[in-house]
Amino acid sequence: METMVELRGVTKRFGAFTAVDSVDLQIRQGEFMTFLGPSGCGKTTLLRLISGFETATAGRVLIGGRDVTDVPPYKRDVNQVFQSYAIFPHLNVADNVAFGLRMRNVPAAERAKRVGEALELVSLQGLEKRRPHELSGGQRQRVALARAIVCRPQVLLLDEPLSALDAKLRHSMQFELKNLQRQLGITFIFVTHDQEEALIMSDRIAVINKGRIEQLGDATQIYHAPATAFTADFIGEANLLKSQVVYRNGILARVRLTEGVELAVKKETLQDSTSQALLSVRPEKIYITKTKPAKENAFKGTIEEEVFRGAMDELRIRIGGTPAANGSHTGLSLMAMVPNESSHERSWHKGDTVYCTIHTDDIVVVEQKA
Amino acid sequence: MAGTIVATDTPAAGGRKPPGRAGWLLLAPLLAWLACFVVAPTAILFAYSFCQRDELGFVVWEFSWENYARIADPVYLKIFGRSLWYAGLTTVLCLLIGYPVAYYIARAPASRRPTLLMLLMIPFWISFLLRTYAWISLLKADGLVSATLEMLHLIPEPLEILYKPAAVLIGLVYTYLPFMILPIYTSAEKIENSLIEASMNLGAGPWRTLAHVILPLTKPGIFAGVLLVFVPSIGMFAVNDLMGGGKVDMIGNVIQNQFGQARDWPFGAALGITFLALFVISFWFLHDRGEVKRT
Amino acid sequence: MKHILRSLAVAGATLVAAVGSSLSAAELNLFAWSEYVPQAVLDKFTEETGIKVNYETYDSNEEMLSKLVGGAEYDLVQPSEYVIEVMVKRGMLAPIDFAAVPNFKNLDKAYLNLPHDPEQKFSIPYMVGSVGIVVNTEKVKEPVKGYADLFSGKHAGRIVTLDDNRELLTWAFYFTGQDLNTINKDTMAKARPVLAKWLPQIKIFDSASPKTALLNGEVDLGIVWSGEAAILFQEDKKFQYVLPTEGAHLFIDSLAMPKDAPHKKEAHAFLNFILRPDISVLISADFPYTNPNVEARKLLTPEQLENPASYPAAEDAKRLHTFRDIGRAAAEIDKMITDLRGGS
Repeated sequence: METMVELRGVTKRFGAFTAVDSVDLQIRQGEFMTFLGPSGCGKTTLLRLISGFETATAGRVLIGGRDVTDVPPYKRDVNQVFQSYAIFPHLNVADNVAFGLRMRNVPAAERAKRVGEALELVSLQGLEKRRPHELSGGQRQRVALARAIVCRPQVLLLDEPLSALDAKLRHSMQFELKNLQRQLGITFIFVTHDQEEALIMSDRIAVINKGRIEQLGDATQIYHAPATAFTADFIGEANLLKSQVVYRNGILARVRLTEGVELAVKKETLQDSTSQALLSVRPEKIYITKTKPAKENAFKGTIEEEVFRGAMDELRIRIGGTPAANGSHTGLSLMAMVPNESSHERSWHKGDTVYCTIHTDDIVVVEQKA
Repeated sequence: MAGTIVATDTPAAGGRKPPGRAGWLLLAPLLAWLACFVVAPTAILFAYSFCQRDELGFVVWEFSWENYARIADPVYLKIFGRSLWYAGLTTVLCLLIGYPVAYYIARAPASRRPTLLMLLMIPFWISFLLRTYAWISLLKADGLVSATLEMLHLIPEPLEILYKPAAVLIGLVYTYLPFMILPIYTSAEKIENSLIEASMNLGAGPWRTLAHVILPLTKPGIFAGVLLVFVPSIGMFAVNDLMGGGKVDMIGNVIQNQFGQARDWPFGAALGITFLALFVISFWFLHDRGEVKRT
Repeated sequence: MKHILRSLAVAGATLVAAVGSSLSAAELNLFAWSEYVPQAVLDKFTEETGIKVNYETYDSNEEMLSKLVGGAEYDLVQPSEYVIEVMVKRGMLAPIDFAAVPNFKNLDKAYLNLPHDPEQKFSIPYMVGSVGIVVNTEKVKEPVKGYADLFSGKHAGRIVTLDDNRELLTWAFYFTGQDLNTINKDTMAKARPVLAKWLPQIKIFDSASPKTALLNGEVDLGIVWSGEAAILFQEDKKFQYVLPTEGAHLFIDSLAMPKDAPHKKEAHAFLNFILRPDISVLISADFPYTNPNVEARKLLTPEQLENPASYPAAEDAKRLHTFRDIGRAAAEIDKMITDLRGGS
């Protein structure tokens, strides 16, 4: 597939602070790419380098094969939906949407037609004459979207466009945006700090941390095979477990988590020289039973806490160790998810002894050292 | 398909409660002040404008339209016209000079803005007369401006600018410039950066962004600035006297004369009321047009 | 108990006495031109008599009149001659008890019983001056004897004059040989073309400080108050004062007592005080107008007396005339001058 946006060794410094640190990235035509990371990680700066509001300190930015590193924003064929929507308060809905077309000197008749189409696409027909202050947050968001897509850009940039909406509206907009992108077939670059949003919408996700791309991949890769502890921790929830390699043969290796608790892991996930490894296990991949299952990687624990989380219940399970005098525990604490229970037939109680089972496929090594 | 789900949240209207009766109490001191020092004097002026002047220059309470009829005399109409012309020129110059300054300050880093504003305010700590005399010594034939230009061989002979209309214009622009800058600054400061970025993102270069986004959004500031400069510069007399050598008579000088030398208070009052009426009418005119465009 | 009551009564009585004496404490409310009464004179008066002086100032006769009409209570005001005439006609002034002002005899009779106060009942001359021509003789070599020379056209753009419509008109009246106090349509019509030619020649109109433009070289000639001219002459002898051959305005600033003056006794004391020769010379030192006090003139230095702006030659002084109140004509003058200046 054709490359639409390409970043080559792009670095952006603000004084002594490096916001973007030699990033290389290729974004394909028609792709829904998400920059995901915590605030201050550099994802917005990266977006602004593409839109042209920032100029790279080093490296090149290419859009549609054209080097635009030094091209001002108004000469780039990208449009953006701003976090604050940036709707022009002095113009009505139709004039806001028509703004980009007027700046490109599109004739009035065609302008009206395209504005009508864009407003239909975001279901705002009939609101053409409304002033921005007469619109709800969701409607403003749609105006911003219509205003950006009406220009039919090669690339649409979206800077946390959903963050100001309430949860339900946000969720429906996520699907709408995804549909819109499929319908229009243009490249979307979406910036968010919301991992769920990223997982739902993206074709690919670039996890960004401290100005660098930590991991690039599709949603399932990012979720199931986090390459680093940061990714594992930032995306979804993860048990990050320190372990020591105690044994290895041709097929399997065994690691010890704590006194008396050992796990079998796939041998090929570990380098030969590794003696210590950090493991990531998703909470929903820990199977809880009351009786000891006849499987490997099963070990005993005690329910320390049970937290109601809606669709799921979260269990905190203490493995190994002994209570210390100050109330803390040695050993380790695991987080597991189980389907929630109705109040009249609860199977899990605080203090119960349970067995945890972890499949070797669900253990991801995110760090290792000799 | 896109847009099958309709937004259900409500418009973000400012849910502000209108003030109750107690709210008016808060305004009472202001209202009392306005009544004493604005409404009452204006009413007195209005009453005077229909009175007569007696032989000795005292006001006689005898109704007459005569004072207003006198205003229609070409002598005074010409001066009204000239005052409007000078005030208009002053306003345009203040706008051309003040707008970029106001915009620059408003877009400067927030940490530097107080300093820049302070620089603008510092001259106000010095008395108006003193500043005007300073201008006189700058502009006079052997003053700093002329001497510098001569030294640089930019002009062949001393600059004869003082006591000429140009000097009055300089004085007026200097006096009223801050009144143009401050309101524009206030409205320019409110423009979110993202609006300017949105404009550029939609293909507007710097000039078109200025024309289509920044100017419309600073319109309230421009409007306020124009009023704050135009109205007082029509009535100004001190600058004309000091820097114009008393030769560029404006309506302010004529009114001042009626309350002074000519001792014709009723005519002065009629001129004042006419001036006020002109202002109110032009304000309504500008304001209405602004409203019409908005809806 | 009795003891306490008595001491309270004593304290009360003392308090009443104190308040009473402060209410009747001798004071004088003087309302005069700004920069016209030296502070030293006021201090000396208080020192000698114990009368406290409240000195308020104004910048125009009209300002003084409107404050008085507005009900302000002053004991002495300082009107110019034609304003005295207005105030007398209006009954705004109290007659002066000349028995209480023995020093009145020191005044030059030439400045008494003039048309504005023919019986000399209401006013006492304070300072006298004229409005004449100042010439920077270093810059202007040809003689300037009167308005005709000044406005011949040779000095266009090098002239400062007072910014006072009645004064402007008066010069044209002298030039056309008309009486300065007979102002009507005909006399004004004769003056109009003259002023139309003169006004464009004037570079600066300034009543407040016309000497400044002469001092810093902006202009070389002027028509100014004689006091301003006297100061110019003190600074540099090149500034010569000329009383125009056609005639010139003589102004007499007097002290007068408003009808409702609350402290008439103190006012009379002050009038007598400033007519004392040793006090009057103090005023002359600060404000070198013509001192109408003959006895005080004897104490002036030769240099002060030789200043032609302060003490013009006797035959020149014959050409001086005072202003009379002109009633409604003031508005006509204002309109005509406004029109002529509007064309400039």
